[in-house]
Amino acid sequence: MENLLSSYLILCLALTVITAPFLSFLLSLIFKKVAPAIGILSISTSFISSVILFFTVWKKQTYHFAFNWINIGNTKIDIGILLNDLSVIMLMLVSCIALLMHFYSVEYIKTDKLKYRYFAYLSLFCFSMLSLVIADNLFTLYAFWELVGFTSYLLIGFWFTKEKAVRANKKAMIMNRIGDIGFLIGILIILSHFHTLDIDLLFGQSDLFSSSFIKNDAWVSPFGIMPSYWLTIAGYCFFTGAIAKSAQFPLHTWLPDAMQGPTAVSSLIHAATMVAAGVFLLLRIAPLFNDVVLITIAIIGLFTAFMAATIALTQNDIKKVLAFSTISQLGFMMLAVGIKDNSAAIFHLVVHAFLKCLLFLAAGMVIHQLHHLKEEKTLTFDEQNMQNMGGLRKLMPITAVVFLIAACALAGLPFTSGYLSKDAILVSVFEYADINGGLFWLFPLFISITSWLTTFYIFRVVYRVFFGDFRLPKIVSIPLASLNLHDPNKWMIIPSVILSVFCFGFFFAYNPFNLDSSWVYNGFNLQQHNEGLYPILVPLYINVMSFAIIGVTYLIYAKQNIKLNLETSWMYKLSYNQWYFDAFYDVFLIKIVLLKAKAFYWFDRNVIDGFIHFLSELTLSISKIAAWIDIHIIDGLVNGAAALVKQIGIWLRGMQSGKLQHYFIWMLMVVLSFMIYKIVI
Amino acid sequence: MIPLQHFLFIGAALFSLGLFAVITRKNAIQILMGIELMLNASILNMVAFGKYDKIDNTGQMFGLFIIVLAAASVAVALVIIMNLYKRTKNIDPNKANSLNG
Repeated sequence: MENLLSSYLILCLALTVITAPFLSFLLSLIFKKVAPAIGILSISTSFISSVILFFTVWKKQTYHFAFNWINIGNTKIDIGILLNDLSVIMLMLVSCIALLMHFYSVEYIKTDKLKYRYFAYLSLFCFSMLSLVIADNLFTLYAFWELVGFTSYLLIGFWFTKEKAVRANKKAMIMNRIGDIGFLIGILIILSHFHTLDIDLLFGQSDLFSSSFIKNDAWVSPFGIMPSYWLTIAGYCFFTGAIAKSAQFPLHTWLPDAMQGPTAVSSLIHAATMVAAGVFLLLRIAPLFNDVVLITIAIIGLFTAFMAATIALTQNDIKKVLAFSTISQLGFMMLAVGIKDNSAAIFHLVVHAFLKCLLFLAAGMVIHQLHHLKEEKTLTFDEQNMQNMGGLRKLMPITAVVFLIAACALAGLPFTSGYLSKDAILVSVFEYADINGGLFWLFPLFISITSWLTTFYIFRVVYRVFFGDFRLPKIVSIPLASLNLHDPNKWMIIPSVILSVFCFGFFFAYNPFNLDSSWVYNGFNLQQHNEGLYPILVPLYINVMSFAIIGVTYLIYAKQNIKLNLETSWMYKLSYNQWYFDAFYDVFLIKIVLLKAKAFYWFDRNVIDGFIHFLSELTLSISKIAAWIDIHIIDGLVNGAAALVKQIGIWLRGMQSGKLQHYFIWMLMVVLSFMIYKIVI
Repeated sequence: MIPLQHFLFIGAALFSLGLFAVITRKNAIQILMGIELMLNASILNMVAFGKYDKIDNTGQMFGLFIIVLAAASVAVALVIIMNLYKRTKNIDPNKANSLNG
């Protein structure tokens, strides 16, 4: 009895988690003045419920509630809630970061006229993301996946008067559509093969999926047989969806552009939560992937991580650096999924969410304060360009400290959370290469390089923004003293300080040097790491090198003792222009699409429209002829008959002269004619 | 013995004269007189043909009937003419044409 009650309570709590933001979305649009308060209240409710759920479900029991929704023939689609370890940790992560972000946004968006709309969108996003996390079947997951994409579209284009923002949200939308097609096809393959989309049924305890097997090139499930390549295709389809959502090569170009949105949005959606949805999807359906798909995932993840890290080296826009860093770190997670170390992927997802969110918050604080300065003094400079910054640690000390903490975590230095999660992935990669051998040693090679590049680019940002001399006074030629630049107020400081706590390794493990003492990692760990040398050696050699790189970066960017003249080299250009992906897409895809569109436009205008116009002209002429016939012949006949009758009538009327003797004559004539007729016949 | 043809000739002549009078006169009384002439012509024919029926004398009987009917119809006709005169101060039937088409 008690068990029943508690499961009922859990259902109520789970519904509260998702209903509160949705109500907030509706209420924010009605009560515009108090929209921030409504948003904060609702997301706090969600957060508290998530925490309770977390402590009820985590490592104890899986709850699955499903209600019949759609019946099509024998196929049933349920709507329901699946609460397992993965969902509850994501729930807590999303609601926690969203809560902090709401606080931060109060200050960040204070002066905007459409503030209420911002909070409404934010609530809608929280609703869809939280629902996505606890959706129990692929169909509802897909629906919320789309909704998440849509709210992302709304928020990227929040400043819709900016041409760039509008282009960026269009781009994000289109790029995500490509992935969504893949996702949908994958869903349909699963549906046709297993007659259900329920994640718990497919991959959970009853494990419908493992009851299917490959035999003689045929994929046999309890419901039917398919050629075995459909399993690979399904894996690729789902992976395509994840590629688009998590901004992996080759669909990654939307994420840097998405930085046109408000920084708080970039932080919440495009760094911490939404982009993790792709990884989340892969983790949800991980058993589906066969070896071919897994190796593809690993390669794409590795390539993306490496490529994005090299791009981040040379970007001058602070948010662009962070955007490419996000892409790179998502590549790490993909790689972890690809080498079947799902626990490391989840761990890194959680850790990265906190630290990247914090990096964006700190960057946002710098941008926010510079923007204020710009409006106050009516100056013209780019507040996101790092060339206008420098030496800010003296002016904005708290911002500098939290940014530095997050940067250390991103670089994976000891005592930080990044040390645990990143090295978890690195160790797994080394073990993976060790088992497979041969060309697989490229994985650890490149992932190590990427790891060092990460250290380099993030400390480049640290030194260029917070160390050295403040370059802005020289650029706009105003003395430093008159620039009143300081830390923002508590609305922004408090969330970032709270987040910086989560960037320490102690939060995730009792012993910040031992991966196996981390509760998140252990929560999902399926296979223990070997007691080999890798868990000791890999972090050591990565971190020794990282410290060296930090020193070199300090000399290059803070002290400027070493001058690098790489601006003209092809490597610099390749990196600065983001490997020419946008240019490539412009030339080879967009141009072609536009040309095609123009051709079709011409065809439409001249051939289709011409034909239609010809038809209309033809119809017009035919109807003119018909009208003439109608007027002159048909009407003529009718009118002629009428006229004839009229004439006859007039003529006959003339006989009725009213003169008595005329009638006599008529009578006489009639009688006579009868007589003559009788006589003649 | 007067032959039958003579009666018929006189009857025809009388009928024609009566018809002529009915068609041409401008006076309702004269038209009435023309009608009387035509009636009389028919009576003459009846009586003339009556010689072929010496047993029942149908011709004579019809003649008498026609005389009585003619007297009655003249009475009616005169009343109509008087009414006409009262309304139009005129007995020209061609003037009484208010019902023309």
